[in-house]
Amino acid sequence: TILFLLRSFEYSQKNAVLVPAAALGVGGILVFWLRSRHKIKTIEMGDGWWGSGERPLKGKEDESIRPFKIETSDKEIEDLHRRLEQARYTPPLEGAAFHYGFNSNYLQKVVAYWRNQFDWRKQVEVLNKYPHFQTTIEGIDIHFIHVKPSYVPHGRAVQPLLMVHGWPGSFYEFYKIIPLLTEPAEHGLNEGDVVFEVICPSIPGYGFSEAPHQKGFDTIATARIFHKLMNRLGFKQYYVQGGDWGSRVTTNMAQMLPQSVKGLHLNVVFVNKQGLGRIISVMLGAYLPWLVGLTREDARRIYPFMQKNVYEILRESGYLHIQATKPDTAGCGLNDSPVGLAAYILEKFSTWTDKSFLDKDDGSLESKYSLDELLTNVMIYWVTSSIVSSMRYYKENFSNDPHLTAHARVGVHVPTGIAAFPQELLHTPRVWAKQVFKNIVTYSYMPRGGHFAAFEEPKLLAQDIMHFVRKVEQL
Amino acid sequence: ECSSLAGIMLLEVFLALGAVIIYFFLSKKKEETLSFKEGWWGKGQKPDAEEDTTIRPFKVETTEEELSDLFRRLDQARFAEPLENSCFHYGTNTVYLRKVVSYWKNQFNWKKQVEVLNKYPQFKTKIQGIDIHFVHVKPPRLPEGRSAKPLLMVHGWPGSFYEFYKIIPLLTDPASHGLSHEHVFEVICPSIPGYGFSEAPHKKDFNSVSAASVFYELMLRLGFNEFYAQGGDWGWLICTNLAQMAPSHMKGLHLNLASVTNMGFTHLLSILLGRYFPGLFGFQEEDVRQMFPFWKKGIYRILLESGYAHIQATKPDTVGCGLNDSPVGLAAYILEKFSTWTDLKFHNLEDGGLERKFNLDDLLTNIMIYWVSGCIVSSMRFYKENLQKGIGRQKHERLTVRVPTGIASFPNELLHTPQAWAQKKYTNIVSFRFMPRGGHFAALEEPELLAEDILQFVGKVEKEQLWKKK
Repeated sequence: TILFLLRSFEYSQKNAVLVPAAALGVGGILVFWLRSRHKIKTIEMGDGWWGSGERPLKGKEDESIRPFKIETSDKEIEDLHRRLEQARYTPPLEGAAFHYGFNSNYLQKVVAYWRNQFDWRKQVEVLNKYPHFQTTIEGIDIHFIHVKPSYVPHGRAVQPLLMVHGWPGSFYEFYKIIPLLTEPAEHGLNEGDVVFEVICPSIPGYGFSEAPHQKGFDTIATARIFHKLMNRLGFKQYYVQGGDWGSRVTTNMAQMLPQSVKGLHLNVVFVNKQGLGRIISVMLGAYLPWLVGLTREDARRIYPFMQKNVYEILRESGYLHIQATKPDTAGCGLNDSPVGLAAYILEKFSTWTDKSFLDKDDGSLESKYSLDELLTNVMIYWVTSSIVSSMRYYKENFSNDPHLTAHARVGVHVPTGIAAFPQELLHTPRVWAKQVFKNIVTYSYMPRGGHFAAFEEPKLLAQDIMHFVRKVEQL
Repeated sequence: ECSSLAGIMLLEVFLALGAVIIYFFLSKKKEETLSFKEGWWGKGQKPDAEEDTTIRPFKVETTEEELSDLFRRLDQARFAEPLENSCFHYGTNTVYLRKVVSYWKNQFNWKKQVEVLNKYPQFKTKIQGIDIHFVHVKPPRLPEGRSAKPLLMVHGWPGSFYEFYKIIPLLTDPASHGLSHEHVFEVICPSIPGYGFSEAPHKKDFNSVSAASVFYELMLRLGFNEFYAQGGDWGWLICTNLAQMAPSHMKGLHLNLASVTNMGFTHLLSILLGRYFPGLFGFQEEDVRQMFPFWKKGIYRILLESGYAHIQATKPDTVGCGLNDSPVGLAAYILEKFSTWTDLKFHNLEDGGLERKFNLDDLLTNIMIYWVSGCIVSSMRFYKENLQKGIGRQKHERLTVRVPTGIASFPNELLHTPQAWAQKKYTNIVSFRFMPRGGHFAALEEPELLAEDILQFVGKVEKEQLWKKK
């Protein structure tokens, strides 16, 4: 009938109909395209089961939140001491400093301290000063600390803040920054009206969170579990903060449920180096940084490119390569030798804090950290036997290539704050971050500090978080 | 004017062409050898006194203390449970590892194994400041008018001189083992400095060329002016360097691994097109079967299996630390290689297929050598010393080998090198044979096959006195 109607018109009248019809068609397509561009893509939440055996068909999961305290025993401490006493060392090569890895001459000093002065019982009390809890999600026990401000002035809003650690760190990395965020005024920080209650979970397989029993536990699963945790704690909207794996997990959280994430703060940013455009911008940027959107500080941090982004990364990524392929092999000896575990973990606390520490016989570890806090973090891996499961996280996250790229195409639209520390392993300029993070509210070049920002420079990081949150709250 | 201009241009072209031709000729004529690398690897300053060059007999020993310390550590071992259905995909499976440790505690007899180790004469001698350990086995009987041919056999990582214990009798006494007795060998198996009972270098920069220089001195000190050399894994590289360093002394070079590290444009082209035009690139059917699809059998496999090399080439002291302190950790680390490098499909087995090709006594004896000598860290440093400048960037990787070469290509070797590639470096390949079965640890896993190949290779070289034509 339509065709008949069309044919029945005269030529000129046909035009009168066709042109507006075509315009409507094109307009419709245009509107659809514009709308789909603005429709934010999210990562599917999905579901999971990580307990042993088959998922039980009947019965609801126990959602109770149980208070938890870290404990130790004489037996545990004696076993540790015995192993420290029987440690076998290999003398370093002459003049090696930290260039071949952790220098065993310095390691012996650390172990002597560990055996004779380090007081694990006292450190357990330190760890227990914040309230700990455990709750079962997707079949495994999730451990977290939840610290509320002891005093909230009348009318002040308390922002919930989820902070996620990485490897080889733990929830303990946040112990110095937590008071700065829950009680800023008492620590000389008065970044406006921002006060937080902080939740620091342990990634499943790390510390006191149960390790998954099934294959495939990646950052997406972690993001989903942490959303469920926050929901279970009664929070509908919250801020998230992370570095190392924590950066990936919190980013996935923002991509998964943007409506729940008020703001995303990162102290390290991972963006996939995308193709030809990036290569060209890197090459041009060496001579004309402003042309490709790089600031002077960006240029200072990323050039010489081959040295800093290829050679140094290759030099520092051996652990990543073996953990992403043979975690059970790599972790086996470390779960049996506390000295081996300490060497493996503390090497990162040296090199990733400042690359120049490689030249020092003692890796300059004690210039930025105390042995007590370094060993407490190592002890968390030791007493929970979690080194192997912590390493498996690398394999689970790097195995599925297409999986990764699909999520790389999902941008991040929640307000984002980035703190770029100068000694971080990889520097991501704002112009590159913008390709994934569409809504960067703050981007700060930090004056000093490396990879373990919360541990090493808690005040600087806290100030940046507050500065970011204040801006978001004003928006 | 025009003609003179054209004349000048023509002259320039001829000059350029001439220069290129002359350069080609000269570079071909310029025969580069690898220089002997002087060194001193002892502690502190090199003393003025002359080095002690005596060759001292050596015996492996053990003590009650050593054994009880080991048992204590095995008893207190802490294992992490594997993921469900992970077999050997995440590394050594601890369910199987527990069984190995139980055998180690209850059935493995180290004292008996020490006697096994001592059945061949062992010696130590100081070279370039460090004690070099070696096994030296002479034939028990020599046929009339025959002389024993000296054969240097070099192990790799995570192996040791012990890998050769099954093949030694086949080479020193072939007649008793059903092999042709036309050629009989006296076998010298040294331990690479930093491995087993050879002292570890105390200074930085001890690489394969250093090891080749040390072994060169060893052979001269033992009175051998001409010898054969055989190797796989690091032994491949050290023997190759030795052939580049002392071609006049080496009658023949036999390899069960022949990696090519200096890849060029033709290699890339052959990777892209070799599957479709094998003949064009000199690929045989077996080459294509083993190498393609290249993404899966080359790149992906390298990435999946080279984590250990990456970390050992960058942070050996870190990764080796725990392994020198936990025998169970050391066993897990080493056994994983004996599984995967024997057959990649062993990933899918819950026990890693280890006992299909080896027995636990042999595997544990090799591990014990690393444990009692405390050499895991120094063994790993060899990776850093050799790889820290990158692959394909060192001088010796660009030099060719003109010594008569024999290559035994085992099917389950991690990466297959076709003859077409090998002959660019080994310009005098006398024998290249595909072995019917076997993997990386050829001497331990398939001693007869390897011995046969060595014998037929030496037969070819001797028959045509090939070492004289160079």
